[in-house]
Amino acid sequence: MKEKTQVSDIDRSLYDFRYEEDERDYLGSGITPEIIKEISEEKNDPEWMREFRLRSLEIYNKTPMVDWGPSIEELDVDNIVTYIRQKSRMNTDWDDVPDDIKNTFERLGIPQAERESLAGVGAQYDSELVYHNVRKEVAESGVVYTDLESAMHDEKYADIIKEHFMKLVPPTDHKFAALHGAVWSGGSFVYVPAGVHLDIPLQSYFRLNAKGAGQFEHTLIILEENSYLHFIEGCSAPKYYEAGLHAGCVELFVGKGASLRYSTIENWSKNMFNLNTKRAIVSEGGKIEWVSGSFGSHVSYLYPMSILNGKGARAEFTGITFAGEGQNLDTGAKIVHNAPDTSSYMNTKSISKSGGISTFRSSVTVNEKAVGSKSSVSCESLMLDGISRSDTIPAMDIRTDKCDIGHEAKIGRISDEAVFYLMSRGLSEEEAKAMIVRGFADNVSKELPLEYAVEMNNLIGLEMKGSIG
Amino acid sequence: MTKLNKLPAPTYGWLGVNYAERELSDNKAELVSVSEGSLVKADITSDARYELSAQENKELTVIMYISDEDKRVDVSAKAESGSKLTVVQVFDKGARTAAQLTADIADSAELRLIQLYIGGADTVSEINPVLSGYSSSFKADIGYLLEGEDKLDINLIADHKGRKSISEINVSGVLADTSDKTFKGTIDFKNGASGAKGAEKEDVLLLSEKVRNKTVPLILCAEEDVEGSHGASIGRINEEHIFYMQSRGIPEDKIYELTARSKTDRIIKLIGDEETVSRINKTLGRSDDDE
Amino acid sequence: MQRNDTMSELLKIEDLTAGAPDKELLHGVTLTIGTGETHVLMGPNGAGKSTLGCTIMGSPEYRITGGKIIFDGEDITDEPADKRARKGIFLSFQNPIEIAGITLSEFLRNALEQITGKRMKLWDFKKKLKAAMELLEMDTAYADRDLNVGFSGGEKKKAEILQLLVLEPKLAILDETDSGLDVDAVKTVSKGIDEYKNRTGGSLLVITHNTKILEALSVDKTHILSAGKIAAEGGAELVDEVISGGFEKYIVGK
Repeated sequence: MKEKTQVSDIDRSLYDFRYEEDERDYLGSGITPEIIKEISEEKNDPEWMREFRLRSLEIYNKTPMVDWGPSIEELDVDNIVTYIRQKSRMNTDWDDVPDDIKNTFERLGIPQAERESLAGVGAQYDSELVYHNVRKEVAESGVVYTDLESAMHDEKYADIIKEHFMKLVPPTDHKFAALHGAVWSGGSFVYVPAGVHLDIPLQSYFRLNAKGAGQFEHTLIILEENSYLHFIEGCSAPKYYEAGLHAGCVELFVGKGASLRYSTIENWSKNMFNLNTKRAIVSEGGKIEWVSGSFGSHVSYLYPMSILNGKGARAEFTGITFAGEGQNLDTGAKIVHNAPDTSSYMNTKSISKSGGISTFRSSVTVNEKAVGSKSSVSCESLMLDGISRSDTIPAMDIRTDKCDIGHEAKIGRISDEAVFYLMSRGLSEEEAKAMIVRGFADNVSKELPLEYAVEMNNLIGLEMKGSIG
Repeated sequence: MTKLNKLPAPTYGWLGVNYAERELSDNKAELVSVSEGSLVKADITSDARYELSAQENKELTVIMYISDEDKRVDVSAKAESGSKLTVVQVFDKGARTAAQLTADIADSAELRLIQLYIGGADTVSEINPVLSGYSSSFKADIGYLLEGEDKLDINLIADHKGRKSISEINVSGVLADTSDKTFKGTIDFKNGASGAKGAEKEDVLLLSEKVRNKTVPLILCAEEDVEGSHGASIGRINEEHIFYMQSRGIPEDKIYELTARSKTDRIIKLIGDEETVSRINKTLGRSDDDE
Repeated sequence: MQRNDTMSELLKIEDLTAGAPDKELLHGVTLTIGTGETHVLMGPNGAGKSTLGCTIMGSPEYRITGGKIIFDGEDITDEPADKRARKGIFLSFQNPIEIAGITLSEFLRNALEQITGKRMKLWDFKKKLKAAMELLEMDTAYADRDLNVGFSGGEKKKAEILQLLVLEPKLAILDETDSGLDVDAVKTVSKGIDEYKNRTGGSLLVITHNTKILEALSVDKTHILSAGKIAAEGGAELVDEVISGGFEKYIVGK
C-alpha cells in the first residue's frame, strides 16, 4: 500500500470557492451577479475582467440553449452553479476514483504517482518536475508559457491579454461561451515572439494538473510572425471530476507566416458534458493544424473553428472520435475562408460502438473575398455493431465561383474479409478487429508524437475490449 | 411564413439551412389519381395534387411539366411490389413552386426520379422517398440551371427501412449570375435496414462570383450493415481538366460552355420523351437537332 | 532519307528552363525536330521527360523561366495550350483525364471544329471517327460514353491515339503511350501511330522506356534526358544501347 501514502489532499485554497455544503441554499438556482463578483474577488481580477464576467453573465441569462445537436437535458442548467462550485473537487481520495478509471490508468501503464495526479488526487510529482524543466527550456527561447491568471497581473502581458481575451470567441457566440466568460478559471497563456521556432511541444496537462484546474479553463495562444509552436492539450488518461461540465475555451492567434499545431487527445470521464469552444484566426501565409482525438465524455459538442483571414492562410484538421456505451459525441470542425488563396483540408474518422452515438458535423464557408480558395473534406465512419449510431452532417456555403471545393464521406463496417484474413494469420477476432480499428484511426495517430500515439492505440485497444466505458 | 424543407438533423443555425421559409397558401387542387396506363403526361400551370401508384409488377411513367408562377405541386406516390414508377418533373423558367413528393417503395419496387430545374425563380422542393420494401430502390437524377436571381431549395430525404434497399442520388447543376441554391440530401439508414446501400453525389459548376451555393449532404445511420457515401464537388473546372481540353484545341470559354451544357444534357437524355425534350430545348433556346 | 535542314525545322526548343513553381526541373534543354521526323526521348525516372512533353504542350502546371519554344516558325513560348493545339501540337497524355458528362464523340467533334475552324457535318465526323475506332479495334459504343470515364488503362491510351488520328496534328508527343499495355494492345496502338505517320507525314516525339512501340517506326534521332538536361544524342542505334546497357553512363553527376 505504498501508493496510498502518496495520496494527499489537494490544495483547496486555490480554486475552492469555499462554498461549503451549508451554503447551498444561499446559492439557489442559477448564477447571480453576486456569485460572479465573489469569484472575481477570489481571483483578484483586474477591474475590466470583473466587468467582463458580469457582462458575460447577462449574455448567458439572455442566450437560449442550442436547438440542435445531442440532448443536454440531463445537464442541470438551472443549477449550473453546482458545476461551477464543484469545479475544483477533483477526487480527494484515490479510493473514490471509479474503478474503470483506475483500470484505464493501469492498462495505459501510467505510473501510480502520475495516475493520482491526473485524477486530481495526489500532489504533483513527476509531472511538476517535467513542467519545470519544460519551462526552463521554453523561457530560454523567449517564449512565454504561464497561467493566464498570473499573466493578467503581469504588466508585461496585461494589455495583450485584455486585447485578445474572448475576442475570437465572444461571450455572445453561444450560451456556454457566455458561461465561460462569466466563470472561467485557470488555463494557459502562451506567447511566441516573431521568428521563434519552438521545437519541443508544449504540453498543457502539466499546467492543468499542476493547478488542479480544468473545467472552465481558458487557453490563449499568440504566435507572432513566422514563429512555430506545437501545443498538446490533455492526455489520453481520463480526467475525472465529480461534477460533469466542461466549458473551456481556446483562442489561437496565428500571425503572418506562423504555424501552430494544436493537438488534443481528450478522454474526459464518461459523466462529463464537454461543451468546449476552440477557435483560431490565421493571418497571411500562416497555418493552423488541429489534431484531435475525442474518446471521453458523456456528451460532447466540439468543432474547432479556423478563420483564414489572410491571403494564403491554411487550415488542416485531422480528427478521430470514438463513441462507446452511453456516449453521444458530436464533433467536427468549422472553416471560414475569408481571404484569397486560402486552403483547408479536413480528414476525420469516427467510430461507434456499444450503443454510442458519434456525429461528424462540419461547415466550410467560402466568402466573396476568398477567390482562389481550395477546400477538401473527407470523413469516414465505422459502425461496429447494430445498436450504435453514426451521423454525418456537413455543410458547405460557397459565395464565390473561383474556388475548388471537394467533399467526400463514407460509412460502413469492418469488412468480414479483412477480419477473416487476419484470423487466418492467427489473430483472434477481437485482436483482428482492434487492429483494423487502429488502422482506421491512423490518420490521427501518425500525426501525434510517438508516446501519445502509443497511448491512443492502447486506448483504442481498451475501448475495443469493452473493458471501460 | 411556413417552414418548409426541414433538415432532418438540424445543424448550426447561422448557416440558414435548417429550413426554408415561404409564404404558402393551401393547395386547393382536386386530387388526381393515376394508376393505369404506362405513360401519363401532365401539364401543370396551377396548384396540383397527384396520387400516383404503380401497380404490382407494372411499369408507370409520369411526366410533369411545371410552368407558371406561384403554385403548389403535391405528389404522393406508391410503387407496389415489383413495380417501376418513373416520375419526371420539369420545372420551367419562372415556375415559382412549392413542390413536394413523397413516395413509398415496396419490395423489389423502384422509384426512378428525374428532375430538371430550369431556373425556377423561387422554388422549394421536397423529396421524401421511403424505401420500405426489401430490395426496394430509389434512383434520382436531378439537374438545375439557375441564372439571374433564381433561387432554389431542394430537400431530399431517402429513408432506408427495408433490407437491401438501394438509393442512388446524382445531382448536377450550374449556377450563374446571382442565383442561389441550397441542396440538402439525406440518406437515412434506419435500424433494421441491413444490407442497404446509399450513394449521393452533387457536382456544382459556378459561373459567376456572385452566386451562392449551399450543399448539405447528410448520412444518418442506425444500422451496422450498410454502405453509405456522399461526395460533392463545387467550383470552377479544375486546371487539369482545362489543360486536357485545351490541349485538344478547345478554348477556355468553350470548355465552360460545353461543361455547363453537359450538366443539363445528362438529364435531358434521361427524359427521352421527344415532346418534353423539345419543349425543354425551346425554353433553353436550343434547336432539337443541335447535337 | 534526305532532308533539307532549312525547311525541316518544325519544333525548335532553345535553352529551355522550366519547372514547378518551387523547383526547376528542366535546366536548359535544346532540341530540334524536323518535319516528318521521328524522335525518341529516353531517360531515367524523374529525368524530366514528362515535364518536357507537358511544357511543349503548354501545361499550366509548369512555368517556363528561360529559353524559347518555336513551332512552325512561330514563337509559342507564352501561348496557351489551345492555341498550341490549333497550330498542330498534340500530346498523348500519360494519365488521360476523365471528363464526366461529355462524350468522347462530342468532345472530339468540338476539338476538331476548333482546330480546323470549320463546322463539320455530323455524318462525316461520325464516319471518320468510326473508321479510326475500327482501326484501333475499339468498340464503337465508346464514342457515346463519357470521355475516359470508366475506361481501363488500355482503353484510355487507345482513346488518346484515336484523338491523334482524328485531329491529325503536325507534331505528336507520345508520353509513355505504351506503358501499362499488354503486347496486343501495344501492337494496336502502334498500328494507329503508323497510320497517323503514313497518312499525315507528321512528326513524332516518342517518350518511352522500351522498343516495342518503336519497332514499326523509323527513328531519326534519339535524345537522352537526365536530371533535366540532354545528356546524349544519337541515331536509332542509341535506343538499343540504352535498352541493353542502361542509363548509367548518361546520368549527370555520376
